[in-house]
Amino acid sequence: MAAIKQTIDDVRELESGKYKYGFTTDVEQDIAPKGLNTDIIRYISASKDEPQWMLDWRLAAYERWQEMKSPQWANVRFPEIDYQNVRYYAGSKGGVKYESIDDVPEEILADFAKLGIPLREQEVLLGVKGSENKVAVDAVFDSVSVVTTFKAELAKAGVIFCPISEALRDHPELVKKYLGTVVPASDNFFATLNSAVFSDGSFVYVPPGVRCPMELSTYFRMNAEGTGQFERTLIIADKGSYVSYLEGCTAPMRDENQLHAAVVELVALDDAEIKYSTVQNWWPGDADGKGGVYNFVTKRGDCRGKNSKISWTQVETGSAITWKYPSCVLRGENSRGEFYSIAVTNGHQQADTGTKMIHLGKGTTSRIISKGISAGKSDQTYRGLVSVHAKAEGARNFTQCDSLLIGDTCGAHTVPYIECKTPKAILEHEATTTRLSEDQLFYARQRGLSEEQATALLVNGFVRDVLQQLPMEFAVEAQKLLAVSLEGSVG
Amino acid sequence: MGVIKPIAAETALIDALDGATGWLAQLREATRVQGLPTRRHEMWKWSDLRRAAGEITSAGQITVTGAADGVLEPADGETVELSVSASAGASAAALSVVVKSGRTVTLVERYRAEAGSLGNIHLDIEIEDGARLERICIQDEAEEGILVASSSIDLAVNAHLNQVAFSFGGKLVRNETHVLHAGEHSEAHLHGVYLLDEGRHNDYTTSVHHTGPGGITHQLVKGAVTAHARGVFQGKFKVDRAAQLTDAKMTHRALMLDDRAEIDAKPELEIYADNVQCAHGNAIGTLDETALFYMRQRGIPLVQARALLIESYLAEPLDFISDEALREQLRERLRDRLRAIS
Repeated sequence: MAAIKQTIDDVRELESGKYKYGFTTDVEQDIAPKGLNTDIIRYISASKDEPQWMLDWRLAAYERWQEMKSPQWANVRFPEIDYQNVRYYAGSKGGVKYESIDDVPEEILADFAKLGIPLREQEVLLGVKGSENKVAVDAVFDSVSVVTTFKAELAKAGVIFCPISEALRDHPELVKKYLGTVVPASDNFFATLNSAVFSDGSFVYVPPGVRCPMELSTYFRMNAEGTGQFERTLIIADKGSYVSYLEGCTAPMRDENQLHAAVVELVALDDAEIKYSTVQNWWPGDADGKGGVYNFVTKRGDCRGKNSKISWTQVETGSAITWKYPSCVLRGENSRGEFYSIAVTNGHQQADTGTKMIHLGKGTTSRIISKGISAGKSDQTYRGLVSVHAKAEGARNFTQCDSLLIGDTCGAHTVPYIECKTPKAILEHEATTTRLSEDQLFYARQRGLSEEQATALLVNGFVRDVLQQLPMEFAVEAQKLLAVSLEGSVG
Repeated sequence: MGVIKPIAAETALIDALDGATGWLAQLREATRVQGLPTRRHEMWKWSDLRRAAGEITSAGQITVTGAADGVLEPADGETVELSVSASAGASAAALSVVVKSGRTVTLVERYRAEAGSLGNIHLDIEIEDGARLERICIQDEAEEGILVASSSIDLAVNAHLNQVAFSFGGKLVRNETHVLHAGEHSEAHLHGVYLLDEGRHNDYTTSVHHTGPGGITHQLVKGAVTAHARGVFQGKFKVDRAAQLTDAKMTHRALMLDDRAEIDAKPELEIYADNVQCAHGNAIGTLDETALFYMRQRGIPLVQARALLIESYLAEPLDFISDEALREQLRERLRDRLRAIS
């Protein structure tokens, strides 16, 4: 098939050189020396003026982490990471806090502007053409949040949206109440590492009955060389509230592997809903598989209240290695968890990603739609768990994992775990692995589409279920990203 | 992991296998170094053999009738009745089966494991070019014992395997089948039925590795569990880059009949070839209330209606048995058991 051949060739060409976020920005920063020890943890904590309990929490996590081993079960291969050869903190020069947007160094603003993220509020509206919606942005540059937009407007609605370091200062009671309750400090190797050294991330609190007036967004940028990013995000949706949160990430092109080990915790109380969307585009490494980000992330949502809902949507195109399983603990009666994922791997990328749906409460429902596209020499694994406990009467799960292989040097794998302990539940799982169907291509061509258009139509159709779930602002970006990642097959 | 402190069952097994060769020697070495598998072994995630074997303290005896000297080479058209019986204590046996090129053979395996037994049996099966093997594994008399029946099947080109596993479970019963699938017009059919009650445990684990192009693998496994029983299904298809045009389908469906039972499933795909059709489906649920209502409304008592529905649900994989008498015999076993359960 010429179209398939064309796609393979295009994908090959694409393997490097088209990552448009690969630039670096020279900014004066305070960078911690390489290595991990209690001094570094004290340094991070001190530079953020954290309360004593936070430092103690970090030190306890560090102590625990030293006894833990890096997980081996994922279907990814990489040389052992030397955790002493990583910088755990890169912040603004002299620990200065930017009080207003005018204090932020022009270089950083320019960096974000280049990424298409205008941080001056008057410019934000221009961000997405044709959209009336405002998006509040928390911009995280290496280890610190440089600016959070629209804070005043959000405050009017009672919504707290700020860097977690600021939340620790201004709302310690909220942070203390919820931090580590979804992903405990000892949860897993990378989460424990994060608990010890986490720098900035976003904190969101939506008060009871409030529908957050705009989309909230955090943009993560790794810039400094040899630095890992360890952000921590905590989102709490109080009773009857709603919030939609978007996350984007990029990093410069570097020969070395950069470590990104984040933790995201979501808490939804009675009747609350959290919609969490990610477009992950960390530097995936070059055509030979050199460099790229190791993306080892723990994301978990807790549907603590009845009728609560948490929905994860992710578009994963970047990172040399992805190890990520956004999960939902469905504790509240009739709570609902959703997971929509598109993962594209190309070049030498490896992705082991999926979700966990833990049904604990009565009448809980979950839906998993995962679409994986493998190309080049990449390997991709969907790994998921659906667990229904004995008390989860009336639980319902539907899972669909489809994999598309482009070219004959890649791999696509599906590893679902299904555990059911109640007869009053219905669990369905379907998975397929194919390449683009020749019949479908033929049919589309026969209707007058060119090979290129037909391929584009089919690939778009393949991921449509997931794209539809993204907020408008991100759907546009995600579609562009897919086009770049798989140019040739998306037209 | 260093060498662990062995439990009595492990010591008994290691001693009993002193001087063994081949697979038995491997089993001995694995038991010596790692002990019996536990939940920490990914392949045994839901079947903790070491724990189940906790009360076994001595060596036992496993007898195999139907295969002289542990080697079987059936003639064309032959039906071999193989009977495996494990007495109390830990024991292991291995035998090899060769289906010579062009022959069509049926192997009916009946397994029995006494209370307090831990019987390990391994079959090394070679299906040569153009040969056909139909294999029926009947594990309906191991209800108080522990039985691990594993097999490695080497499927040559143009060869055909049809396997149906029938089980009522046991303290822990595991049927583990590994198929090395050469493709090129060869086919593997790996079906199974399990019906478990009274805290019984059944584990059907299969792994098919497609190494050559154009192979076919179809799998239909159905089960029903009740009263503290636990059904485990682990299926894996691995398709090498060279195995283009592979057609592999896996379906596992199970019924939960009451709320003190458990079903665990892991239908896994590992695909390296792009021009393939690989799919798996897994569904866990309970009896259809509307179907029950319909039958009762037609005057069929609830107990009978349930049994009928479960029987028709479970019997589907038995249709793949070509010997009609055997098929009917197993259906009858199923019917009897359902009557006893309800």
